[in-house]
Amino acid sequence: MSFLRLSDLDKVYPNGFRAVNQANLEIREGEFVVLVGPSGCGKTTTLRMIAGLEEISEGSIEIDGTVVNEMAPADRDIAMVFQNYALYPHMSNRENLAFGLKLRRMPKDEIERRITEAARSLSIEHLLDRRPRELSGGQRQRIALGRAIVRDPKVFLFDEPLSNLDAKLRVQMRTEIARLHKRLKTTMVYVTHDQVEAMTLGDRIVVMKDGVIQQVDSPMNLYDSPVNRFVAGFIGSPAMNFFEGSLVRGRFSCEGIACPADESLPEGPAVLGIRPEDLQVQPGGACLGEAELEVVEHMGHETMAYFRLGTQTGVARLSADFPGRPGEAVTLYARSSSWHFFAPGEGGARLLTEETKTTGNAEA
Amino acid sequence: MREPRLLTAVRHLVLLLFVGIAVYPVLNVLSISLRPGNRLRSTDLSLIPDNATIASYVQLFTEQPFLTWLGNSLLVSVLVTLTGVVLASVGGYAFSRFRFVGREFSMLAILTTQMFPATMLLLPLYILIAKLHLVNTFIGLMIFYTATALPFCVWQMKGFYDTIPPSLEEAARIDGCSRFQAFRLVILPLALPGLVITALFSFMTAWSEYIVAAQVLQEREMFTLPLGLKSFQASMSTEWGLYAAASILVSIPVVIVFVSLSRYLVSGLTLGSVKE
Amino acid sequence: MKRLFLFSLLLLAACSPRESDRMVTIWHQMTPAERVILDDQIALFEHAHPGIQVRALYKETEELRSGFQAAALAGTGPELIYGPSDVLGSFQTMGIVQDMSPWFDESRQEEFLPQALTRLPSNNDPASKELLQVGDRIGNHLALVINRNLLQETPQTTEDLVRLAVEQTRDEDGDGRRERYGLVWNFVEPFFVIPFLTGHGSWIFTDEEGSTTPALDTPEAVAAYELVLSLQNEHKVIPANCDYETADALFKNGQAAMIINGDWSWGDYLANAEIDAEVVPLPVVASTGIPMGPMVATKGYSLNINAKEEQAGKAMELVRFLTSAEVQRVYMWSLKTLPSRKELLDDPLLQEDPTLKASAIQMANGRAMPVVAELRAIWDSMRPSYQALLGGSITAAEAAAKMQRDAVDSIRKMNQKLEPGLGATLIKGLGGLLLALGLFWALRSLHHMIKDWKHNRLAYVFILPSLLVLLLTIVFPFVYNVILSLSNMSLKHFQDWQVIGFQNYIEVFREAVFFSVLFKTVIWTAVNLVFHVGLGLLLAVMLNGPVVGKSIYRVLLIIPWAVPAYITALTWRGMFDYEYGAINLIASQYLNMPMVNWLGSPFEAFLACILTNIWLGFPFMMVIALGGMQGIPQELYEAARVDGASRGRQFFSITLPLLKPVLLPAVTLGAIWTFNNLNVVWLVSNGGEPSDQTHILVSYVYKAVFNLYRYGYGAALSMVIFFLLAIFSIGFLKKGRATQSVYG
Repeated sequence: MSFLRLSDLDKVYPNGFRAVNQANLEIREGEFVVLVGPSGCGKTTTLRMIAGLEEISEGSIEIDGTVVNEMAPADRDIAMVFQNYALYPHMSNRENLAFGLKLRRMPKDEIERRITEAARSLSIEHLLDRRPRELSGGQRQRIALGRAIVRDPKVFLFDEPLSNLDAKLRVQMRTEIARLHKRLKTTMVYVTHDQVEAMTLGDRIVVMKDGVIQQVDSPMNLYDSPVNRFVAGFIGSPAMNFFEGSLVRGRFSCEGIACPADESLPEGPAVLGIRPEDLQVQPGGACLGEAELEVVEHMGHETMAYFRLGTQTGVARLSADFPGRPGEAVTLYARSSSWHFFAPGEGGARLLTEETKTTGNAEA
Repeated sequence: MREPRLLTAVRHLVLLLFVGIAVYPVLNVLSISLRPGNRLRSTDLSLIPDNATIASYVQLFTEQPFLTWLGNSLLVSVLVTLTGVVLASVGGYAFSRFRFVGREFSMLAILTTQMFPATMLLLPLYILIAKLHLVNTFIGLMIFYTATALPFCVWQMKGFYDTIPPSLEEAARIDGCSRFQAFRLVILPLALPGLVITALFSFMTAWSEYIVAAQVLQEREMFTLPLGLKSFQASMSTEWGLYAAASILVSIPVVIVFVSLSRYLVSGLTLGSVKE
Repeated sequence: MKRLFLFSLLLLAACSPRESDRMVTIWHQMTPAERVILDDQIALFEHAHPGIQVRALYKETEELRSGFQAAALAGTGPELIYGPSDVLGSFQTMGIVQDMSPWFDESRQEEFLPQALTRLPSNNDPASKELLQVGDRIGNHLALVINRNLLQETPQTTEDLVRLAVEQTRDEDGDGRRERYGLVWNFVEPFFVIPFLTGHGSWIFTDEEGSTTPALDTPEAVAAYELVLSLQNEHKVIPANCDYETADALFKNGQAAMIINGDWSWGDYLANAEIDAEVVPLPVVASTGIPMGPMVATKGYSLNINAKEEQAGKAMELVRFLTSAEVQRVYMWSLKTLPSRKELLDDPLLQEDPTLKASAIQMANGRAMPVVAELRAIWDSMRPSYQALLGGSITAAEAAAKMQRDAVDSIRKMNQKLEPGLGATLIKGLGGLLLALGLFWALRSLHHMIKDWKHNRLAYVFILPSLLVLLLTIVFPFVYNVILSLSNMSLKHFQDWQVIGFQNYIEVFREAVFFSVLFKTVIWTAVNLVFHVGLGLLLAVMLNGPVVGKSIYRVLLIIPWAVPAYITALTWRGMFDYEYGAINLIASQYLNMPMVNWLGSPFEAFLACILTNIWLGFPFMMVIALGGMQGIPQELYEAARVDGASRGRQFFSITLPLLKPVLLPAVTLGAIWTFNNLNVVWLVSNGGEPSDQTHILVSYVYKAVFNLYRYGYGAALSMVIFFLLAIFSIGFLKKGRATQSVYG
């Protein structure tokens, strides 16, 4: 039984722009779902429709069994954390936390109890009597989290809550949110354009592009079996390498590459996708071919090697002790199990072997 | 952070210079009000004239219905200010936050009301006021003043709301506010500097107008201050002393209003709410 | 909120209308001293007539005229108006005053001096005359006033006058600035030049009875102008550009031996203890032997066309009382006015009082002010050329010739009777079509709105009251004006005007002066706006930092906005005075700069208007900018400082862009207001002086409408102004994306 359900959701702006197109999504109670995608993909619009800040053009949204299409945000029993915190600047932080509760005419001592509890869990007790402007960015976002927590809503919505923080704080807040979810076990919908956040936080991830949901899956499934080239490229860092070529009789070939492929794959033009971490210079797996190193970045614990294979370029994630230098030639090998084949084009669908077809079906 | 000395000095120099320029002509008015013998011009530059006298001020309060006029003006101006602020604060909000049918048209239409030379409006306006039986009432006057001040006020408030991030009222709505509550509890307090300017402007519009007032008000006891002022004037036999004295007194309430409102022209209201 | 609302309701209830049928209203233009007597006499009258209440209301000359016209057109207005007879010509042509003879029979009329009663041909029957004004005094004339402390001799001829004036003009310390002048008067105003014209044997109209043909270009007039000019240029007995207030102040200060001024001013001079004033008749012109004769006007009461039966009867009862011998005697005794009743000519005071005696002689020498609408056109045509003459840009002969040309032209325009042309039918057809289109469009919008209502309910509720208030006040006047601009409403068609076509618009664009005035208006607007915004921003930035005494500065800087502009504009006019103005004094004494004849030359006078308006306008922009700056997060500046941005850079890349939403409406509306700002130009340049060279479009409209009664033309010009501004500001706002929010 789904707790939050989007059915055939559409958002069309008056100027004709279709921000969300036929979105269907079912979220279970207590689940942490992350909407991810490049900017303009419709993820924020979807979230705002759930919140009630954006009108629904077509389709419906159900929360806990009730269709909320026409319901005011105030009545949906949701809480939201905004990218820019959106704290009320003319109120103290305590008042910020209390605002929503007061509006619901909650007794004073209950408000006090909830604020104290939330403040303790977020370690913001000492900030409560200050104004938002007196706080640092990280502290403000904690207050904003606190404002959501005290409400004890059915659903938490997060709209890129960490993107205004610096890198270090972001990591810290990320784990905090993860811990929060573990403790509260409330349904959470989280929007981000950062795939690392998506992978680390989400029970399930929804990848969107141009208003269309591309894939909904657990982080590992998304990583292992992306449904199309877009998802494959979006998840993972550095991004997956793509080589355009063609499949002929169980072999994929393009300039500089020739490697075996599953015979059940359809013949014709195709794109080979290999994650940088699946490439290696030690012989093993399938040999891709001779590559010329262009840039070598030593990161300490690993090395990124940017190379050219024929006319196409790629990157390999190699061990820290890789000795190669730019201009040198190396032979690249790939673990054959991790090969992905896509139909040609930017969003080309994953080409399925007999075997993956069945697993794919099982998944659905 | 502290400013360099030089910069502080420059600040004060510029400010003092302009204070001088701003105040000097008004000191002249003050000097006329203290001058005996009813003279507008004087051939010497001294600001306190020889034989300075406060007779004009005394006369204003003892022989002229100055206090009645003051009361009338305050009544009209305060009511115009209240209606102006209320109407503009909601109107500007609608323009800033909603995309409704006829929005752009209404905005421009409101603006175009200011484009017609006022002198040509007097004749039809008088006819209108006469037909509505509003001659010699304050209501006719107030409707007109509100209408005069409103276009600026609405646009001004819209501009102010535009600088307030919409996520604040979105947060409020999710917190449990209706749209109206979000406006009143969250946005309105933040638009205070805008409201102050709107209030000041409405007040000034009503406070200093006399052309329409002269058409509408028909009784000396109903006069507003500017109209009372005008009655000290007659072609080539103006009572300049009274006129100047009254002008000085007329500006005092404006200064009081400004001083009491400028407390709200404080910095950083929206500060810290959001990270841009 | 609720309490506030209740409070306002209570206040509203407090200002309910007060009207009564027993009330008789008079609009008058009496001087403050006259008003005191009027009030006393009215009190006496009310005591004697318990059924009648009288309400006397002072109106300034122009206000009375335009206000009465509007009120009469609306079918209301005061029962009585009081003032000089010169306006009656146009009032009769417009048909807004009525014949008083039903209440004022022959025998009663017999009691008055003939010139005290104004009778003009009836509109319906030109052969019969109607009694339109009953005068209670005769005068309004100029005479010479001598400060006997300085000068004992009384000039008998203009030669004496010049000689004595030259003697009395003194520069005792030899610094080139005179401490005393021989003869002063409102030198720049043509009304004051009339005695010189009559003394030379000239007049403003041709000599036939009731003539309205200008006769301004005569050799006698040229001689008169040359004499006047010599007083300024050759003899230097009068300060340059001497206006009424300067002359008045000089004489009251004992810095002028003689002044030419009207009967309204004498009381003030006689009462002044510092000078020993005596009124004497103006001298005889030496070259002709004719005494200088001022214009003499009757002042009296006229009856509104809308005053019906009983009301008119009550009003006339009042007129009979106010023109009675007793009342006239009070005026005569306290204010030295000349009576209009025959019986009062024998009053002992008239024989004994030196001022009244001189006044009576002067009046006898004077010429009656013509009671014709054309007189206004004469003044308007004389003023520019006369001032150009004084300014030295044309000769006396050229000035006289130009006056004549302009007068003929103005009178033609004023009396123009436009008849419906082909355009009229076209307009009526088009009007119907437009109405239908408008209705269709409105219905369609309404339909859309109803569909949209669900989504934006609050917006419609929020916007509705504002729109209603504006609709109520603007739509009717606007539509009225559109129709007026297509009509022939003018002096000759005041009540019976009709739609005639596009003639008025054609006229607007045909007049070459339109484009030069438009150009000037654009300059005026641009310069003012740049300085308003520039100074406003500068001061706001200065005030926005950590300044000691910030609140005091802030208050002092808004003072130009706080003090009524009417008086400060006049103060500025005083400060621009050539000899005595603070600006020239400071410039020449402390800054070693040459004196500038601010108000005497067109460019400088225009500059003076601009300077004054800049002064009036910068505090407003400062307040706007200050308010706007409060919304800019300080963090942005901190960030910019970390990035190493200079203060200038911070201003242009943070302050200015973020002020935009707040500043844009202020700038747009500021431009519109400045474009349409009549007051400052009118007050500082005294209605376009010198020579009508300082007009901007609105003052030009004002002049066309109020001086020449060209309502249709004025409305058309206003529509042109309206469209110019509409195109400008909509373009400006679209470019500035002002209707869009920063946040989308």
